[in-house]
Amino acid sequence: MDRRSFLALTLAGAAARPHLAAAQAKRKMAMIMPGPIQDADFNAVGYLALQQVAKTYDLQVSHSESVVVADAERITREYVTAGYEIVANHGGQFIPIMNKLAPQLSNATWIQEASGRLPNLPKNAWNIGRKFLQGFYVLGALGALATKSNKVGMVCGVRLPDVITSVNSVAQALRDVNPQAQLLYNWVGDFNDPVKARQTAEAQIAAGADFIVVFVNLGLSGVIEAVKAAPRPVLLTTFYTEKWDLAPKNLTVSLIFDFNKPYHEIVGKILKGERTGYYEMRPGSGMELSEIRNVPPSVADKTRAIFKEVVAGKAIPEVVDKTP
Amino acid sequence: MTPWLLVDPHLWHQTLVYAAPLIIAALGELIIERSGVLNIGIEGMMLVAAVTCFVVTWQTRSAAAGIGAGMLAAAILALLLVYYAVALRGPQITVGLGLYVLGVGLSSLIFRVVFGVRTSPPQIQTLAPVPVPGLADLPVIGPVLFQQTLLTYLAFLLVPVVHLALFRTPWGLRLRATGENPRSVDALGIDVAALRYGAAVVGGLLIGLGGAYLPIVLTGTFSDNMTAGRGWLALMLVIFGRWMPFTALGGALLFAYVEAFQFKAGLVEKAVPSQFLLMLPYLFALAVLVRIYRGARAPRALAVPYDREARG
Repeated sequence: MDRRSFLALTLAGAAARPHLAAAQAKRKMAMIMPGPIQDADFNAVGYLALQQVAKTYDLQVSHSESVVVADAERITREYVTAGYEIVANHGGQFIPIMNKLAPQLSNATWIQEASGRLPNLPKNAWNIGRKFLQGFYVLGALGALATKSNKVGMVCGVRLPDVITSVNSVAQALRDVNPQAQLLYNWVGDFNDPVKARQTAEAQIAAGADFIVVFVNLGLSGVIEAVKAAPRPVLLTTFYTEKWDLAPKNLTVSLIFDFNKPYHEIVGKILKGERTGYYEMRPGSGMELSEIRNVPPSVADKTRAIFKEVVAGKAIPEVVDKTP
Repeated sequence: MTPWLLVDPHLWHQTLVYAAPLIIAALGELIIERSGVLNIGIEGMMLVAAVTCFVVTWQTRSAAAGIGAGMLAAAILALLLVYYAVALRGPQITVGLGLYVLGVGLSSLIFRVVFGVRTSPPQIQTLAPVPVPGLADLPVIGPVLFQQTLLTYLAFLLVPVVHLALFRTPWGLRLRATGENPRSVDALGIDVAALRYGAAVVGGLLIGLGGAYLPIVLTGTFSDNMTAGRGWLALMLVIFGRWMPFTALGGALLFAYVEAFQFKAGLVEKAVPSQFLLMLPYLFALAVLVRIYRGARAPRALAVPYDREARG
């Protein structure tokens, strides 16, 4: 290497050093997601929460999306090796990975989402318990009140504990609010397959369902197409975000999830040295009901009243070992 | 479970709707394979066609423009395959796999670049059913057969058209001969490469139409990997359908029927695990088509690069 080249390289390195130093000074957080961040749904809200936390606490953040469980361990090890001290698992399917790695990689702190409080939580892990079943109880209640055919459909993605407990809570809501109503539900096998979700919804509509509770992500688009093509009016719910523009005449309500709140609080505590704890996302705490549309005002009022009961602590059985 | 479920008119209506993209893609692949080129990149081509159709329709508010763009996108990928197969005499399976992987990544990238991260997914208007006057009101068969979208009608009309083109026209004879014995075709002064390129364009356009069908008829949106294996299924339909249009049609109808049936069965029968029901269409189609495949013979020159300078 000649002298000029050496000088140019040295100057370039010197110029880069302040930027590197600045980046190195920032603490790092990574998020692992099971789906794509352009799903406009579960993964998108997780990504947005990560970006918000980055701004609030001046963190260097990174994310990996569409991660299958088989790859999660490798990806996590790569993040920790690269100096990421906080690893957020935005999905309950990554619990075994967290349980395995947290004791091994004690310099990192995990934020693990689950359907509730995890037993034997490692000392360097936070647990976000997402009580889907409580929110879905309210959606089931709305369906029970709004249905004219007494048949409420439910389009379910993958047979995970969160979804199983939610199916059971919707069934419970029907028993409590409208015992005449029947629950029709299917497993699509995928949260993000709109074609299969449409087929599922069409089967339920053909069987008489006039209200559908939706527990899929991108699959919602398929359900909406089925509803729009239905020979009679069919109403539906959604969750995570509001999506009124997709089906303004059919959507009734959205169960809004605000992941900013738990992540903001937990990351703040981790940065101060508190490396374990539990945060429950439930109606009234990170989980809110949007405005209710396309149903009579009396139905909307009763649904809001039921939501308030759930917020206040109404007991809803958590059944995970069987389905209706 | 009532036996009436098996002959439910709504079930048959759904069968036709969901068989259509399989049929269209399978016909496209059939034309390409009959010319002697093996294309296993159908899944990737369908994905690129789906995202192209979606993006163009969203931008232009024109379904025709979107469908055309989707078809063109797949045809370009098919031309790429045939260029490698014919001009470079490259390994067709490897290139096909490469196109599949390219299609998966490219379709996702295009969607991400155009739409970014949103909290509400972009949506397009799907095609509405077009009832056939007079026939749509016939009892039972009217709603099943004559209240479908234009693309669904086209899918079924294409089957006899492709069959006639392949087996009743000089072009079809030359194409099939190219797939069986390209040297004899060459000896007659017919351009083998031109035939194969032509087959790629036609086949690619049809594969693209099959991919475009998904967003423009079924979902109104695009999602990563939305073909969910339908491209591979179309390939299977061609092979196990003995490279015959009507047999491929039968296979597509069988798969779509069992797929529609399993959702209805899942509503009334809870004793059967849902995972088994989801697996059922694939098991059924495989079992029946493997039986039909017995004795079938692939085009003799399929996946064999043709070199007119080679001796023997």
